[in-house]
Amino acid sequence: MSALDRKMDRLLARENSGREHRELVKNRTVRKMMMNRLSVVGMVIFLIILFMCLFAPLFTPYDSTKVDLRAILQQPSAAHIFGTDKVGRDVFTRILYGGRISIGIGFGSALIATLIGVTLGVIAGYKGGILDGIVMKISEILMAFPQMILVLILVTITGQSLWNLILIFSLTGWPSMYRMARSQMLSLREEEYVQALKAFGIRDMKIAFKHILPNAIGPIFVNITLSTAMFILNEASLSFLGLGVPMEVATWGNILNVAQDLTILKSAPWIWLPTGAVVTLFIISINFIGDGLRDASDPTQVG
Amino acid sequence: MASYITRKILSLIPMTLILSFMIYLGMDLMPGDAVDYLIPPDALSTMSQEQLEQMRESLGLNEPLVVRYVKWLGGLFHGNFGYSLQSGVPVSTLMKDYLPATLELTIAALLISSILGILLGVISAIRRGGALDQILSVFGMIGVAIPQFLLGLICIDIFALHMNVLPVGGRMAYQGQGFFQRLQYLIMPALVLGFSMTAGVMRYARSSMLDSMGKDYMKTARAKGIPEWRVNLVHGLRAALTPVVVLIGFRLPMLIGGAVVVEEVFQWPGIGTLFVKAVRSQNTPVVMMIGFFSVLLVLISSILVDILTAALDPRVKLS
Amino acid sequence: MRGNKFMGLLCAATMAASLFTGVGTLGADATESVTAVTGDAQSLGTPLADVRVRQALAYAIDMDTIVDTLFDGKATRATSFTSPGEWLNTDIPVYDYNPDKAKDLLSEANWDPNYTLDVVYYYDDQQTVDLMTIIQQYWSDVGVKSQFRKLEGDLAAQLWVPPTDMVNGPSEVKWDLAYAAVAALTESEFYNRFASTASNNSTVPKQDGLDELIEASNSTMDKDEQIAAFKKIQQVVAENVLAMPLYHQVCFIYTSSDLDMKGNPVGNDQFSYEKNILDWNINRDDHTLYTNGGPQEFFWYPMVNPGYMLNTELLFDKLIDADESLNPTDGMLAESYEVSDDNKTITFHLRDGLKWQDDEPLTGDDVKFTIELMLKTPGTNAVASEAMSCITGAQDYKDGKTDDLAGVTVDGNDVTVNFDKVSANALQVFSQWPILPEHCLKDADPNTLQQNEFWQHPIGSGPFMVDEVVLNNYCTLKRWDGYWKKGTGNIETIYEFASGENDSNLVKNASAGKIDYAWSKSTDDAKAIEALDNMKVEQANIRYTRCFYINQFPHEPNIK
Repeated sequence: MSALDRKMDRLLARENSGREHRELVKNRTVRKMMMNRLSVVGMVIFLIILFMCLFAPLFTPYDSTKVDLRAILQQPSAAHIFGTDKVGRDVFTRILYGGRISIGIGFGSALIATLIGVTLGVIAGYKGGILDGIVMKISEILMAFPQMILVLILVTITGQSLWNLILIFSLTGWPSMYRMARSQMLSLREEEYVQALKAFGIRDMKIAFKHILPNAIGPIFVNITLSTAMFILNEASLSFLGLGVPMEVATWGNILNVAQDLTILKSAPWIWLPTGAVVTLFIISINFIGDGLRDASDPTQVG
Repeated sequence: MASYITRKILSLIPMTLILSFMIYLGMDLMPGDAVDYLIPPDALSTMSQEQLEQMRESLGLNEPLVVRYVKWLGGLFHGNFGYSLQSGVPVSTLMKDYLPATLELTIAALLISSILGILLGVISAIRRGGALDQILSVFGMIGVAIPQFLLGLICIDIFALHMNVLPVGGRMAYQGQGFFQRLQYLIMPALVLGFSMTAGVMRYARSSMLDSMGKDYMKTARAKGIPEWRVNLVHGLRAALTPVVVLIGFRLPMLIGGAVVVEEVFQWPGIGTLFVKAVRSQNTPVVMMIGFFSVLLVLISSILVDILTAALDPRVKLS
Repeated sequence: MRGNKFMGLLCAATMAASLFTGVGTLGADATESVTAVTGDAQSLGTPLADVRVRQALAYAIDMDTIVDTLFDGKATRATSFTSPGEWLNTDIPVYDYNPDKAKDLLSEANWDPNYTLDVVYYYDDQQTVDLMTIIQQYWSDVGVKSQFRKLEGDLAAQLWVPPTDMVNGPSEVKWDLAYAAVAALTESEFYNRFASTASNNSTVPKQDGLDELIEASNSTMDKDEQIAAFKKIQQVVAENVLAMPLYHQVCFIYTSSDLDMKGNPVGNDQFSYEKNILDWNINRDDHTLYTNGGPQEFFWYPMVNPGYMLNTELLFDKLIDADESLNPTDGMLAESYEVSDDNKTITFHLRDGLKWQDDEPLTGDDVKFTIELMLKTPGTNAVASEAMSCITGAQDYKDGKTDDLAGVTVDGNDVTVNFDKVSANALQVFSQWPILPEHCLKDADPNTLQQNEFWQHPIGSGPFMVDEVVLNNYCTLKRWDGYWKKGTGNIETIYEFASGENDSNLVKNASAGKIDYAWSKSTDDAKAIEALDNMKVEQANIRYTRCFYINQFPHEPNIK
């Protein structure tokens, strides 16, 4: 591989060398995360938003799709704390239900991408050979496109729908996970304990998944959080370009998109401002959690 | 070094061939074709299938995929990048019109984000754990977290519509294309785009600065009584820059693909808007060309990063 | 495969049931349909073939409230495709909001509450989606389930392919209802599509006597006769709810306080009409009028939309002028014109010394060339191509049997156009479609006309000529001193922001004081611009009606 890859592999390996303290990792990570004020605040915000979205019916009596033409564009009031939109739907309700879908897209895609990437990375990295060569080439091809360009092409090919979007994000997201998992495998498979396990006659795949992979759990979590944030933002961008989830589905991107209408932007800020704030807060909180995780799983930083 | 670069460039050829065929295939898989976008949808209902078929035929859309691809590739070898299915303008002319606009915007944003990111990252590292560190982290994070188009629209509302100090969008002033007149148009989009890219650089700069601050030679320098700011600036910063440069190298491909949303918000006549329009109207030759260019840029920038890394870090050898 | 036998049984059973209850089947020979059916019970027909169902769907929607709220009162509820005015038959049945009546009709028609209507649309704006959401709810309130989806790809093939059998079907399209619009120059564009011979009638089976009514409306140039004919058609369409008109959009014209139009009226800006722009005054030091519609990739060619963009209108002159309601008036390039008593010959007397903007002479040959080009260009708008096909020898010319269109003769400044059969819209067509320069376009391939280099920097014969073009950014037009008419106004330059059909930046530019004249159909634009101090918003009625087409041909339910 190129010098660049080796360089990156080394960077990744360094970021993730919590392996020496395996048995302590959990407590230590949690402890270190708690020390990081920003990531604690992030965690709290994240959990609040997530909880409210998941249990939306507990927090709002309205139906997110119920149109009410007698109550359009109402300002925030006791009945509608974030007011109503252009067809009289409760904005607060739409933020919560929209959050379900947006977070679902972000988290679901990140999870699928991770699953594909890590599985391939572990197998290919441990086994090497032709399989590794092929998967590596595919990942190179996918990574050769600027992400937005690839996503735009794929959305147009598959058509706009919720599941297509998750599929596309997963498809464009797995190569980076693959690379990370693979580099872990490459650097760990020559370790002595692995050799010892081999000598005991334990099956390759068992060694790879059960004994090596857990060492990479830290960076994998970091990557999931950061990818989730990225995909949520991508969904919003695609909505803006008119290529996101169909507009009748409430997602954060689709709710925000009405701000394109300058009248709404100026005179009905209750529609987009709270939504924008929630999205921004949520992304920030995820990023801080990711940062916290990264720092916490890095043994070179004192905990 | 020379042989390394030649080898790398040679290896680009099969890669770009595969990629270009994939884009072509993708365009073919899209529902409908360019003819559906040449006629406004409301007018489509008044046209007969024969008329539409005739237009397809004359645009060469009825030939098999492989034939069309080979023709396109053949044209490429003769320096002919094809013609826009919409306007018949050579794609090379379109690129000539649109590419400078995008480069102008993205390079400005790259500069802003790099300078700002390194500066804030270093400050953050020096003040590690302090209030300033956290304020700066939050500031940088907002840039990443706020949807670009929302920030853009808010900026337009404030600076262009309320305060009336900057133009709402576009790239060039009518009857005034001097540097300063053009600069007005660049400020908002470049800042919005740059702001969103700052946090990444900042995070890298901060952590590599922290890294180098812990190094022995820094301690030695301090022990020698060199003032703290000098130690940080001269010794720390230099070492910290390496990974940052690598990161910026990785960002080069964003020069084409990264500005789509910002271009749309600010009516910036660049590659991004052209690409979105071409994808939506299935203007295959245009999509091919932009896809091709951006892929090439990714591959070239990865070589560039390799070379840079080798140049900056004596331990890395090109092979 | 295993399912087929079962489906066959099911089919027969439902078939029998429907025979007894008398639902569905269009009154066609039922036994014959059974043999034609390939094993699916639902392919016997469609619930939408029952007029009571169609009426119920219309009764269920409170269009007045939608217009007042979603459109902010800036549209007109439609009772017919025809907008209010002299062309509208006010005696036709009107389906005012009445959910109880809708429910009654549905139960009379034995509506199956499990049937889900497949409703398609092709606009990608927020307002359309909002409207669809609202209508979905109105229908669900009367017990009709519906799903809405946006069509992608080849719209014509998915929407407008007529069945081979225009009486019994089956349908060539899959959906139940399609939300669409007609932007019409003439009434005939609304109603020709209901004929069983129309190439785009994918929804309405042959109706008794309707074809004849439509034919009658097309074969007279007399306005009163046309109005009478269209009123009869409106009656048939409304009685049977052959389609469901929803609302008429209006055209909003935005003007700035810097602009003085000298009392010239505003009108239907989807097409060209006499604005006397040469008389307008602009209160800007550089004598520049700001507008939108500049080229993104090329200057829009006029075959499909002859006057949609202000630049097409100002760059190219037509033979005949039109007033703000698009009625043909006096001559433009033609100093005068005459229509023969049998309506089959029109003679144009061109002005002396006409020139193109590159100083080449504009002659009768250009007129003949343009008519020939319109015949050969596949993208030519239906009204224009229908009118052109009525010209003597048009078919032979199109088929390539001759290089010379026999029906058009040029004698000095006189151009005579002979028609085989009366074309109801010929004068409208000559007042909208511009004359194009033969010397620039004679080598152009009509099939790919829009790709010709000419449209990068067109040369016209109108009051303004192209000056500077920065594609996708802006272009400027400058006053052309070679024009046959001089005006009293001071506008020297027209600056156009690049924009497509819908200009998403119109409001921003207007807010920044950079729009002096523009138009759009968007109620959102109108609302935002109304709020600006320096802008005035006026309305003009246009022929633009949004509606549902209802697929009454037998088809399988698309949503199971």
